[in-house]
Amino acid sequence: MDCIKKKVNEELAAGWIGSNKACAYHPCHFTGQDCTFCYCPFYPCNDTTFGNELTGKRGNKVWACSDCLFIHRPEVGKFVIARAKELGIEQAEDPRFRDIFIEAKQKFYRRGRALMVVGATSDAGKSVTVAAICRILHDRGYLVAPFKSQNMSLNSKVTRNGSEIAMIQTLQATAAGLKNPDHHMNPILLKPKKDTVSQVIVCGKPYADYDVEGYYSEFVPGPGREIVREHIEFLKDRYDYVIMEGAGSPAEINIYDVDIANMRAAEISDADVILVVNVEWGGAYAYALGTVELIPEEDRKRIKGIILNNVRGNPENMRPGADRLEEMLSIPVIGIVPHADVVLPNEDSVSLRGVRMKGKGKSVIGVIRFPRIANFTDLDPLFLEDVSIVFVQGPEDLEGVDAVLLPGTKNTVADFLWMRETGIEAKLKELWKKVPIVGICGGYQMMGRVLHDNGIEGGVERDIDALGFFDNETSFGEYKKVILQDEGHMLVGDKGEVTGYELHMGITDVREEPMFIIENRYVSGPENEGSVRESELTFGTYMHGVFDKPSFRRYFLSFVKHDGKPVERREVEDYDAIIDENLDKLAKVFEDNMDVDTLLRIMGAGE
Amino acid sequence: MKVLFLGTSSGAGKTTVCAMVCRRLAQLGRDPVPFKGSNLSLNSYATSDGGEIGIGQAFQSWAAGVEATSDMNPVLLKPAGNGVIQLVLDGRPCRDITKSAPMEREEVIGHVTAALSRLESEHGIVVCEGSGSPAELNLLDRDVANTGLMRAANVPAVLVADIDRGGVFAAIYGTWRLVPDDVRPLLRGFVINRFRGDRSILKSGIERMEELTGMKCLGILPYEFLRFPEEDSLSFAEGKLEGEDPRAAFLSNLDEMVQHAVESGFDFDALLDIAGSGSSSRGHPEGADLGIGREHRVHRDRRAIDKIKVRVRAEANGADGIRYRPLRHIVRDPRNRYPGHVSRNCGRGYKTIACAGWDHR
Repeated sequence: MDCIKKKVNEELAAGWIGSNKACAYHPCHFTGQDCTFCYCPFYPCNDTTFGNELTGKRGNKVWACSDCLFIHRPEVGKFVIARAKELGIEQAEDPRFRDIFIEAKQKFYRRGRALMVVGATSDAGKSVTVAAICRILHDRGYLVAPFKSQNMSLNSKVTRNGSEIAMIQTLQATAAGLKNPDHHMNPILLKPKKDTVSQVIVCGKPYADYDVEGYYSEFVPGPGREIVREHIEFLKDRYDYVIMEGAGSPAEINIYDVDIANMRAAEISDADVILVVNVEWGGAYAYALGTVELIPEEDRKRIKGIILNNVRGNPENMRPGADRLEEMLSIPVIGIVPHADVVLPNEDSVSLRGVRMKGKGKSVIGVIRFPRIANFTDLDPLFLEDVSIVFVQGPEDLEGVDAVLLPGTKNTVADFLWMRETGIEAKLKELWKKVPIVGICGGYQMMGRVLHDNGIEGGVERDIDALGFFDNETSFGEYKKVILQDEGHMLVGDKGEVTGYELHMGITDVREEPMFIIENRYVSGPENEGSVRESELTFGTYMHGVFDKPSFRRYFLSFVKHDGKPVERREVEDYDAIIDENLDKLAKVFEDNMDVDTLLRIMGAGE
Repeated sequence: MKVLFLGTSSGAGKTTVCAMVCRRLAQLGRDPVPFKGSNLSLNSYATSDGGEIGIGQAFQSWAAGVEATSDMNPVLLKPAGNGVIQLVLDGRPCRDITKSAPMEREEVIGHVTAALSRLESEHGIVVCEGSGSPAELNLLDRDVANTGLMRAANVPAVLVADIDRGGVFAAIYGTWRLVPDDVRPLLRGFVINRFRGDRSILKSGIERMEELTGMKCLGILPYEFLRFPEEDSLSFAEGKLEGEDPRAAFLSNLDEMVQHAVESGFDFDALLDIAGSGSSSRGHPEGADLGIGREHRVHRDRRAIDKIKVRVRAEANGADGIRYRPLRHIVRDPRNRYPGHVSRNCGRGYKTIACAGWDHR
């Protein structure tokens, strides 16, 4: 407490500083934040809108408010310092701060409103619509948060405090200018293991495995609804707008009563709803009409607008049909949005469906397309280089590749046995030491000598001889998962920066030269990570996102040769900057083709 | 007899479902033939009489065991880029379609209905494939492959809906709603395609669809990991294809699909019911010809029993001895009027009727 008071005194003396871009951590909350009060003068405010009380290890009560952004709102920071100066306050202990708090809250605090984006189908463009709206509102000075009550995706990411949420929500948070996405934005994550069974992650931590029936009969009516309600309320307390994303279609009438991802979530958060339809496959008007009309009346009245998305060709051609739709439904078509040519990570395997080859570069990397491939967004930064990717489903696909990548998977044991069955394993052993091979997470586990499974991964207790490229042993024992964000440096190559996150069942006993030295923020001391044998051209790591920063990317590609020539160097690209650029591009496409005023009016944003 | 398979969107699986139906009906001796009124595709095929048709219809003709002819695809539109589309009419290049010289329905509909008519008279049943979705509001006045065809030739239709992407009930209901009023009564059934998982979860949704629209669910086809010829760039296929001869390999995949369809309980009888229910110049409007010497499984509670009338020899009835009798009379036959027509239970509410002794045509 004392150190906080001391800091506040310093801040009072310093006066208003706006955004402190010189700070090494800037921006630590959101872009455009006010840094005048890095340490909050109201602490502890004891207002449950902004925080809550925790009991510490020694039984002491601690006020926890790390998710509160109130004092960092530009108008609030300015107001508080001005008021303090006005009243001549120079000490943090001054009781008049309490009055300023009440004044500030009265003047500037307004409970958030929710807007929900639902799609007529999967892949309708809900996620990009949410991202675009987040960026548009952020650019207009609002504090917005994305939210998806229940996401089914194998592309997940780890947040700063070690929670696992869907990657797409972190992307939307980036669009909103937020730096600390957390499990509040995606409290339920389903990671499919087999056709009907998923691992259910709740509040960022693995909860249990459920099959479809069990999930809807036990989980949803039980803890499910309450989890959604709690987190929506949390976000509404802290943000101006919560932009919610639906899941699948809101009109699956056979499971309507138990679906908490769409209209039930809209009801729980009292949200207005926008329906997005992907026009690309045709039948858009039918999907729009059918979706709206199949939804029961009391939920249907929440639908305030329709967006026809992903139009190829002239959007004007769709206007007459859109007018007819408006007539029939009495709901405005607020946007006819053309296909946005942007580079953004994709949510799930549906978007990989049917893709054989991606990218236009010269060097060819064969990526083993596991049946349960996960976190394939790891590959995206590779497209910044002179590389193209072939998705390998059989040994013949590996003919002529310049490098091999074994990506992450939801089920290492099953997918390794798939490689054996299809003959890919044998082909990889042929390619060993001839082309560079890199394994990430599950792929890395497969490059080891043996996989010990006590049944939890592959269903049957057994030891499996793996590829044997590394002398590592991986064991799948408990139902426990490693979830960590990593930051560190390479021990090889240019010793540059590397970042990523780990998400895995299974622990590996590593007996190779490490590739990285990393610091997990919440684990003590730096640790070695990864395995490398430069002379044998083999590389392996648990870190997802390892290609994001240029150092490792360049390092790996320096071993890749096409026709005897190494990969052409491109200007060093920061993948994060590329993403941000593309989010701006996306927002512009939406702004140009959507009636933003109507949207803002629907949301009560006036202006 | 004819029936039109419409899709709730592109890529719903119409082409493959039609091929599967052609294959099965050929196995059942129904003499099927494929047809697509108007096709937009760069993947074409040369017929033996020097004409050009879409690859989908060629594939379907192999499935049906008939020679591909230009009648199967009277209008083929081949995009040439820069807003120009080549019109291939009755298998022969006709002219270029541009913005300033668009294709009008009147120009081609006569060719389409004539081709369909010829096929119908030469074969047992025409399995027609639609194009894209029948509910594209901005294209309705120009359509010759979907509702335009239904209207011109009175063709009953079945919707094929892809469930893999989600929103299948919205798609079925929305399409049914948007189809023009005058042809909507011809929409008689729907098929749910590409399903994975436990099908019992769909039951309440299907019942609701049937209630709301009067269409009958003909079946739930499973997701196939098999490769079939693809019509257009939207569907760049994955899937298994094994063997040396591609045509034989595709057909072998199709046989597997037929097997899955039969095992999953796809209702081919109801499909034939629907096909026979359009008006045609021959045959009884509500009749269904059941081939001689064949067994047919009929559920005793189905409406079909009331609707299907079959030609039976009824010796007591005068000179020609041929009459139409409702199938339920044959099935229940309390007064033993139809000896020699075996009707026996084969479990789960089904009866098997052997047609030995029934007249065929």
